[in-house]
Amino acid sequence: MSINVLYFGMLAEISGQAKESLSGKENMTVSDLKELLNEKYPQMRGKKFKVAVNQKIGDDATIIPLSSEIALLPPFAGG
Amino acid sequence: MEKLHKPKKVFVPGAISPQFIADSIAKHQSKVNIGAHAIFLGQIRADEKAEGFVTGIEYSAYEEMAEQTFHEIREDAFSKFDLICMHIYHSIGLVPTGEISLFVFVSSGHRRAAFEASEYIVEQIKTKVPIFGKELVGPAGEYIWKENK
Repeated sequence: MSINVLYFGMLAEISGQAKESLSGKENMTVSDLKELLNEKYPQMRGKKFKVAVNQKIGDDATIIPLSSEIALLPPFAGG
Repeated sequence: MEKLHKPKKVFVPGAISPQFIADSIAKHQSKVNIGAHAIFLGQIRADEKAEGFVTGIEYSAYEEMAEQTFHEIREDAFSKFDLICMHIYHSIGLVPTGEISLFVFVSSGHRRAAFEASEYIVEQIKTKVPIFGKELVGPAGEYIWKENK
């Protein structure tokens, strides 16, 4: 299965792109995705960010459904 | 039954002009059940960093989720406070120091609801809306990613 990942702020700088398609596995969790991203982008390790799954903030145990839109959100700075 | 409010466009490119704010106030003169307006304006501060002073903030956002979150904050505020109307505008893109990046405007029959709602809405925006800010620092084009406290 493929998942679409959007990167924002400093995370877009680290990944060098605003979005990409990654191949994931069935019943993949947010925690699994973070591990995959940390392998791919070692500079992401230790960075503070939230993960939105189809526009809802998830936690490490959140399952990523097929063809989800994932967004990696660094700390908010609105206002 | 609460009336439903249509989602409104919140993001405006660049700084929010004082004229835009003045025009928004003027548009409410025909709504004579309003007795109180509360307005919150966020302005870009020239903080001093190791590399120099902040000259502006470049805002970006996960726009689809942000617009939806703004809509939820509006609906939530309408259900919590006795408001007649509410407007929220936030900048996207570059806003120079000294200019306005956030405009929250709530109106009610009496002052208490307007005061309380404006504070509540601003706090919700700060913590819940996926907006990111790059603080531009000094003359050499350096920057720092901003984080709300």
